[in-house]
Amino acid sequence: MFGQFKYAVKYALGLDRAGRHFAVFPDDTFLVSYPKSGNTWVRFLLANLIYPNETVGFANINRLLPAPGVSSKRFLRNLPRPRILKSHEPFDARFRKVIYLVRDPRDVAISEYHFDLKKRYIDQDVSLEEFVKRFIAGETSSYGSWWEHAASWIAARRGNPAFRLVRYEDLLADSVGEAGKIAEFLGIQAEQELVKTAVERSSADRMRMLEKSQAHLFSSTKDTRQDIPFVRAAKAGGWKSSLPEPLVEKIESAWGLLMVSLGYELSSQSTVEATGSGVVESLLNNAIR
Amino acid sequence: MLRHLIAGTRRALGLHSPGRNLDVWPDDVFLISYPKSGNTWTRFLIANLLYPHKHPDFANINELVPDPEALSARHLKQLPRPRIIKSHQYFHHRYQRIICVVRDPRDVVLSEYHFDIKRRAISEDHSIQSFVAGFIQGKVSHPYGTWGENVASWLYTRGNDPQFLLVRYEDLQSNGMREMRRIAGFLDIPADENQIGLAIQHSSADRMRELEKKQGHLWSSTRQTRQDKPFVRRAKAGGWKQELPEICVAEIESAWGGLMRKLGYESTISLAKVSLE
Repeated sequence: MFGQFKYAVKYALGLDRAGRHFAVFPDDTFLVSYPKSGNTWVRFLLANLIYPNETVGFANINRLLPAPGVSSKRFLRNLPRPRILKSHEPFDARFRKVIYLVRDPRDVAISEYHFDLKKRYIDQDVSLEEFVKRFIAGETSSYGSWWEHAASWIAARRGNPAFRLVRYEDLLADSVGEAGKIAEFLGIQAEQELVKTAVERSSADRMRMLEKSQAHLFSSTKDTRQDIPFVRAAKAGGWKSSLPEPLVEKIESAWGLLMVSLGYELSSQSTVEATGSGVVESLLNNAIR
Repeated sequence: MLRHLIAGTRRALGLHSPGRNLDVWPDDVFLISYPKSGNTWTRFLIANLLYPHKHPDFANINELVPDPEALSARHLKQLPRPRIIKSHQYFHHRYQRIICVVRDPRDVVLSEYHFDIKRRAISEDHSIQSFVAGFIQGKVSHPYGTWGENVASWLYTRGNDPQFLLVRYEDLQSNGMREMRRIAGFLDIPADENQIGLAIQHSSADRMRELEKKQGHLWSSTRQTRQDKPFVRRAKAGGWKQELPEICVAEIESAWGGLMRKLGYESTISLAKVSLE
């Protein structure tokens, strides 16, 4: 009963965590991705672009590029507009302008495995094999499976000028070029020098350094195992060396078709039948890039 | 402040309508459609098949096939399981078993136009042209996205899932017996031809019109709306051919032609002109 009263007061004051329940404005932009797909990195990039005079770090990123998942409604309401907000939500029709960041699910799986160990969401003795099985079933994340997440956004918004699909891998390969394009999409006037500086200030090395001093100040890293880093490999293709072949095959046979349309080459000869027949195939085929 | 405190207390006690974010049980079935796509009719069909002894009508339909926008979180929690839940939501990953009703968007837009006049969301002299333009852009008087977003978000994620049943409004009209057999099979309800036939009869447009006359003031979707405009309107497929200006047809087809073709809604404009989304 006391808990309910506390909630009622928090709600009345706008201090309850927003989650999905907050007012979306028509001029909002959302940086959306499935978890462990480079969202924090892009938040750093954008914050460094938009606030070149701030020292962007884990201590202030939730203020500079806020996440409704960890912020209160009142805080969100009082932000200057237009807002750029971070989100892991699957398709949400209220989000009108969206940067959708996508990453190879074979790398996402490994990243999420380490993160879930760090967060103690899973026990130390959960094997990677067991984890990948649950990952494919969409049971490791409260945001559903990687495939449904990506498919729901791409299906609903592809071709929409207010939707920009960004691959983590492209951002890694040509950070300055891709970040420049994102800035343009956001309507930010950014000289190449500024973009370069933002990229440097958001480098994996710098983020690792900041993590060491500020991990206890960031929602995703505080009260987690400090022996596992949040900024891990920060690379593309790590799965080739660290994901056993049978697990690669499992992911590819579950989601191969969408992976191929996103430009993620399959390594196995596995058929992509699981998602391959009928309507899904023809709708997503080649439509994405 | 007081208003917020009351709202907060209602939430804390589960007296608010949870809508999209209702607590989902693993055995829930969702009856999903974009608004104005025959959802109420399908609710009646299912309710008449499942609970003929309850004589489904506008007064008890929210109880039989519950609507999370109309019932409280607490009420929804207390309903007997398995629940068959009415919804207009776009893709939600927690909704696992889905009956998805789709309807030709050229008819949907007409139906929504008339419904928005009924509920005073637009005035009577609002032009259909400007309504269609807004409809395509998602400037609609509900939070369910555009027709294309809503339908595509389900179809592309769950289209091949055995827990997903796609039903076209038009097929339900032209071949109700076959479609209801599919629905009964999906719901695992033993139903013979006789039972289905009765359910169809009890859910006919004429009967629903009659019920609406008596109960329009009782039901969440028709209460406090203009009573000179019916909720159960034509209940037909293909009305757009007479009622929808050609320019509007062309706009809809060029916005969603690809998706429409997948669903078997043939375009009237030549393929060459259709910009592939």
